[in-house]
Amino acid sequence: MNPRIIIANLVVKLLSFSREKTTMFFVIAFPIILILLFGTIFMSQDNVEYHLCVQDLDQTKSSKESINALEVNGNFKITMVHPSINATQYVRDNKVNLVLIIPKGFERSLIRRKFFNDLQASVTITYIYDPSSSSVSTKMDVLNGVLAGVNQELSGMPPFIKSVKKSILTKKYRFIEFFVPGIIAMAVMTLSLFSTVDSETELRQKGIIRKLSTTPITRTDWILSNILYQFTLGVICTIAMLLVSYAVFHVSLHISAWLPAFILLDVFAFVGIGMILTRFAREAQSAAAAANAVSLPMMFLSGSFFPIELMPGFLQKFAKTLPLFYVNEGLRAAMVFEDNMAALRDAAIIGVFAAVVFILGIIATKWEDDK
Amino acid sequence: MTKETEYAIEVDKLTKRYGDLLAVNDISFTVSKGEVFAFLGPNGAGKTTTVEVIETIRTPTSGKVTLLGMDVTKKKHDIVPRIGVLPQGFSSFDRITVRETIQYYSRLFCCMNADIDGLIDLVNLKDKAKEQYKNLSGGLKQRLGIAIALVNDPEVVFLDEPTTGLDPRARHEVWEVLLGLKEKGKTVFLTTHYMEEAELLADTVAIISKGKVIAMGSPGDLIERNANYLALTFKSVDGKVFEILRKMGFEPVLDNHKNVEVRVEHTYDVQKILNAIKDAGALYLGLDIRKPNLEEVFLKLTGEALRENPPEMEPK
Ligand SMILES: Nc1ncnc2c1ncn2[C@@H]1O[C@H](COP(=O)(O)OP(=O)(O)O)[C@@H](O)[C@H]1O
Ligand SMILES: [Mg+2]
Repeated sequence: MNPRIIIANLVVKLLSFSREKTTMFFVIAFPIILILLFGTIFMSQDNVEYHLCVQDLDQTKSSKESINALEVNGNFKITMVHPSINATQYVRDNKVNLVLIIPKGFERSLIRRKFFNDLQASVTITYIYDPSSSSVSTKMDVLNGVLAGVNQELSGMPPFIKSVKKSILTKKYRFIEFFVPGIIAMAVMTLSLFSTVDSETELRQKGIIRKLSTTPITRTDWILSNILYQFTLGVICTIAMLLVSYAVFHVSLHISAWLPAFILLDVFAFVGIGMILTRFAREAQSAAAAANAVSLPMMFLSGSFFPIELMPGFLQKFAKTLPLFYVNEGLRAAMVFEDNMAALRDAAIIGVFAAVVFILGIIATKWEDDK
Repeated sequence: MTKETEYAIEVDKLTKRYGDLLAVNDISFTVSKGEVFAFLGPNGAGKTTTVEVIETIRTPTSGKVTLLGMDVTKKKHDIVPRIGVLPQGFSSFDRITVRETIQYYSRLFCCMNADIDGLIDLVNLKDKAKEQYKNLSGGLKQRLGIAIALVNDPEVVFLDEPTTGLDPRARHEVWEVLLGLKEKGKTVFLTTHYMEEAELLADTVAIISKGKVIAMGSPGDLIERNANYLALTFKSVDGKVFEILRKMGFEPVLDNHKNVEVRVEHTYDVQKILNAIKDAGALYLGLDIRKPNLEEVFLKLTGEALRENPPEMEPK
């Protein structure tokens, strides 16, 4: 091993990379585009907010408070409809799917019930809705829930069944925070796999290898400089992805030494796989096809884009055999859940895997093409 | 310590098999220090196999090969810094410039402080120093390859088919570079299937065919020994010249352009023939007198042509 040779190689690789626009695009811009795209699509799902039109015919302090409660408890975005408007007509004209009407005399009935304990006093809240709209039933469910709560409170009796919301996560996380580590794992995988396959096949096909084998560079120097190169690219594209995620989505991710550690393990694992692929597919094109065949299922089935819990059971089992799954899990453990034990476990699994394929890769791609 | 000998390369009973194929069949030769040694032979003769064994990148099946006094199978690490190689079909990193490429290779030979500009000058690539490899023409790529083969100031330079696939002009430009090397007194091991190349550059030529060295010596010697005659060609207008030659006891042949070709052993035969033609009042449009070349030597020794096409017509 010779550091000077490794650096010389790294310089050549980085220079080539900086002059290759398509590779630059796929390594740096593509993952960022994915983050922006998926982040925007799923952003709205993070805080579900329904639009609700309310017509207050009572116009009292109590009715206003109730509307306020709806806004807060039901997470509704309220639009007030003027009392003089015909609500049915309003639904038709404005293409809204539901208007809730608070009747006149709301406050009076409320006072009679609350302070005079008059059990006869009640109010009727009317939903004017468009049954053809798909989201209207969810909306009414939410409304019913809120109203049931109000009724229950007015009855003055403590509820028998209470529910406590407790997420399995100690910290609430958003989809984008789940997504970013997955994309980091995926981007590092793709760049390691493809740049290994590219450089190994190019090396063989173009006969650069013949030249290099008559210089003091060793196979070890060559591989180490490749690893270093891919790690450098991995770090650059991770930084770019994180900057965009922070700037656009204000993510909250925990950055620790786990991040570079997982990037490095990811690099080792897929450089190893890449070397094995090039050994068995000598033609550049078949090697690239093989790399696609490896990386595509890995991307979609190992939980880079969505939690594997969303997949059927047998696919979940399959996902757990994929190396990328452990990089995803490990990065999420470290960056989202801050669970060091889980991160350590995943690092150990991917570490063993990486060591095995890497050694196999080295054996598979010895330099002498002599028989 | 490695023992120093007068020979840069000693090959003794080298044999190399690829499975059932006998690529190099029990060959022996020596290359003296400071000489340009050419391996001349057609494709598949075993040239690359032989040089690559000497360069330490292939292992011989049997035989002993010594380079600068060191056994090539045992001393790779000592040998590599002392040799420079232009491999067959040389190629380099597409997006790296001429200058950067030379710099890169000189860094691989760590301790050497190569004179990058000197090398660029030597191969006449000054104007192209900032050009990326992929934009260079074939001849420029080969010249870059030669510069790279020299970054470590090697004692022995191997050039495996340095001009194959080049057009005649690019070939001549490479030859100029190689003549410069020869002047510097480097030991050069050249393989080629162009006899002009061997004839122009080599001090010693070994003709190799089917894994065997079938003749070896200086180009002049080889011609003297194997093709000691003059070839006369008359551009003829009538059949008279042909008849005269036959009557004089020579063996003229008619080629498909109706030119008459005849081989004579001595220069005074030429005078005799010219006089006879003049006396008979026969006519011819032109006369060409030529010493035979290595091509003919090869033809005589193997009964087959060195290559199918003349170099000019070879596809790139
Ligand atoms: N790595 C190899 N494996 C199998 N056969 C080979 C290999 N390299 C060369 N050969 C065969 O050995 C013979 C000599 O090849 P080579 O040394 O390349 O000849 P030359 O350089 O004179 O064209 C050819 O028949 C070639 O096909
Ligand atoms: Mg060859």
